Amino acid sequence: MRKMGFKEFLFILPILILLTVFSLWPILQTFSYSFFDYRLNDQQKSGLYLSDKYNVDLFMETSDYVKFYLNGEKDVVDEEGAKIIGETIALVDEQQALFEGKTGVIELTGDESDKVGSFNATLEENINILVNQYELVNESNYQYIIEELNTSLISSNFTGLKGYSDAIKDDRVHNALINTIIFTIASITIEFILGLGLAVIMNKSIRGRGAVRTISIIPWAIPTAVAALMWSYLYDGASGVIAQMFENIGLIASSEELLLSSTGAMISAIMADVWKTTPYMALLLLAGFQTIPGSVYESAKVDGSGPVYTFFKITLPLIKHSILVALLFRTLDAFRVFDLIYVLTGGGPGGSTETMSVYAYKLMFGQTNFGYGSVIVIIMFLCVALITTLFVKVLGTDLMDTN
Amino acid sequence: MKKLLSITLIVLLLASLFVGCTNDEPKTDEGTTQNETNKEETKDEPKEEVSTEKQVIKFAAQADSTPATQAVIDAFNSSQEEFVVEWVEFTNDSAQMHDQLITSLSSGSDEYDVLSMDVVWAGEFAGAGYIEPLDVKMSEAGINAADYNAGSMTAGNYKGKQYTLPFFSDLGLLYYRSDIVSAEEAAVLESGDYTYADLAAMAEKYVGEGGTDFGFVYQSKQYEGLTCNVTEFTKGYTDIEAGLETMKTFTEASWTPEDILNYTEGETHTQFTEGKAVFARNWPYQYGIIKGEESPLTPEQTGVAPLPNGGTVGGWLLGLNKNSDVAEGAWTFLQFVTGTEGQKIMATQGGYLPGYNVVLSDEEVKANNEMLQFDGFQKALTSTLSRPVSPEYSKTSDEVQVNTHKYLSGSSDLESTVAALENSLK
Repeated sequence: MRKMGFKEFLFILPILILLTVFSLWPILQTFSYSFFDYRLNDQQKSGLYLSDKYNVDLFMETSDYVKFYLNGEKDVVDEEGAKIIGETIALVDEQQALFEGKTGVIELTGDESDKVGSFNATLEENINILVNQYELVNESNYQYIIEELNTSLISSNFTGLKGYSDAIKDDRVHNALINTIIFTIASITIEFILGLGLAVIMNKSIRGRGAVRTISIIPWAIPTAVAALMWSYLYDGASGVIAQMFENIGLIASSEELLLSSTGAMISAIMADVWKTTPYMALLLLAGFQTIPGSVYESAKVDGSGPVYTFFKITLPLIKHSILVALLFRTLDAFRVFDLIYVLTGGGPGGSTETMSVYAYKLMFGQTNFGYGSVIVIIMFLCVALITTLFVKVLGTDLMDTN
Repeated sequence: MKKLLSITLIVLLLASLFVGCTNDEPKTDEGTTQNETNKEETKDEPKEEVSTEKQVIKFAAQADSTPATQAVIDAFNSSQEEFVVEWVEFTNDSAQMHDQLITSLSSGSDEYDVLSMDVVWAGEFAGAGYIEPLDVKMSEAGINAADYNAGSMTAGNYKGKQYTLPFFSDLGLLYYRSDIVSAEEAAVLESGDYTYADLAAMAEKYVGEGGTDFGFVYQSKQYEGLTCNVTEFTKGYTDIEAGLETMKTFTEASWTPEDILNYTEGETHTQFTEGKAVFARNWPYQYGIIKGEESPLTPEQTGVAPLPNGGTVGGWLLGLNKNSDVAEGAWTFLQFVTGTEGQKIMATQGGYLPGYNVVLSDEEVKANNEMLQFDGFQKALTSTLSRPVSPEYSKTSDEVQVNTHKYLSGSSDLESTVAALENSLK
């Protein structure tokens, strides 16, 4: 091996750039989100704020409201009150002039920060005087408006590792993680056994081998969301064919149990996943079978090895790499399962089929809680890294060898 | 040859799959109404030529199975020369629509100018600063908040600012079979002076009569509709324990469907309009279906009453995107839809319940919307419950759904469910 010089390095540079842009960057971004209490539905938390900031837009909007409400009180106050109202409106105008021409969320200077503090205090005082002395038209609204003025002040929403410690304590995360693990282990085990069987059949020179291969790949060719919808009709308690069949042969007490009991829903999801991805597993393993030269089997025959012995001692070790790749791909796929569960059960009944991806989706898209959602995603990322490492350690000791 | 065979086989299989999928009715998964008064197809209006001066206003609203929404838009477009409204149709699955809107709005996009929102989103959208407060605009235009449906206005009021005006309102109702239920019991129902226990007794008594299979059908699937039902059973969360116990009793009762835990509005109206249920809890749109040609059940066989603890307020609100580049036109359109003319079109052509009170007493509207003439319906309008208003609403609702569904399907006990619900509602 020659030492790499600058010229050789230039050839590798593009791939390094691509790796950085497409895999490291998103992970780092998610990672940085997970250290903040970052939610879009709360204006004090809708950004990554490390230091105190001021929401000028919200202040402008709210202070316009103060003027609007106070102007509506002209008829219910006496001269004394009118004077206070006039003073307060002038105060608001002065404060608005201070932030003239600024928009969005800005950093406050020390001087501005003091002014904001004293303005909010004076305003609250004046309004309290008015509220206590007169029957105001907009009485109920003033407390909210004062609250909103304080909402304009944004304090840092950096939470560090708090999100992670919350997630470790969160029952829903435990539940989702356990569901994901159950789903992954069960579906991978069944798929592997069935897929291996299917691959052995497909590998045999029987008549119509092409047709068998073609037909068996169909489930894999159907988009997951469509397949999930199809299965949801089949499993449906009121009109599902499969549900009815299972009830008739006594597998389940009543046809509703398939989608409406927690175990039933999990088993249903696993079955749908097995149906869909067994062919994929089989194809990956078949590719492994095809690489074994026929001469190996001939010598085995000559040495008097039986079919079972041959399979376990010769075939399996020779397709070890294919098995590793197939299991690794499928495990990662199953661990990140989203569309199948989302369409089939939506995580129900009562959260019993909610996987990590579904929970992360609900947090991020349903509740726009990107901080905590990112924590869940990072936890998933760590799990996936762990799974990969285990697989490579156990199955592929020589796979990562540089030689 | 073999190759050709297998290719044809695949093509055939996939084609049959595709055809199978296109015939499905779209699922309606929603906690609010989806109106189906008359199943007339909205005729595609000939595309008006958009002259270059006309500003385009994008209106984000759910697909409408009635011609009303399109009619309102057409009426507005022909009423003035300055703007032209384009309707961006969203799915009837309101949870999906919510997520799509949030994705667009949170990126600061001006893709949509006027937004149609479920009543429970308004707090969230306002808290996030996505929509424009309207008080100043309303006072300039001389619009008085008291003229609108109070429940809808409260839902769109966040921290002392009014962010929305009602598109149409909605509330949970009890439908009963007037040809099965005795006259004196019907009178009790319409007065609203009865409890869920009374309803259970009646359902048990009448089930099986007149070819019915079920005493009472309502919504119990894990989705927004369950939150509405829990709100009603627990009397707006004032008595969670008793409400949940009642729900459990109903779930296990012989006179509710075995798969009630998978029931949405769709299943409910199917069972009731097919004449298979004595009582049903549903939104006003169900009456539109009963009036329609395809329903075996006739309006003469149907009565409407308030629910024992009152009905959940639902419906849709209209607001303005803060980032809109055609703010003036968007506000003009919003005024048109929520004003007399727009509300009248919605009520007469779609059977929607107007959110603008002035229209409620309009003769033409009354004539076209029989429901407004029912005593039971008028009574129901006076006893309404609202779901919790909060910027974190979707989280709260999600927790209510998961915990209640767990309890009803028997995988958790009453005590821990009550505790979990109380915790979510804090």
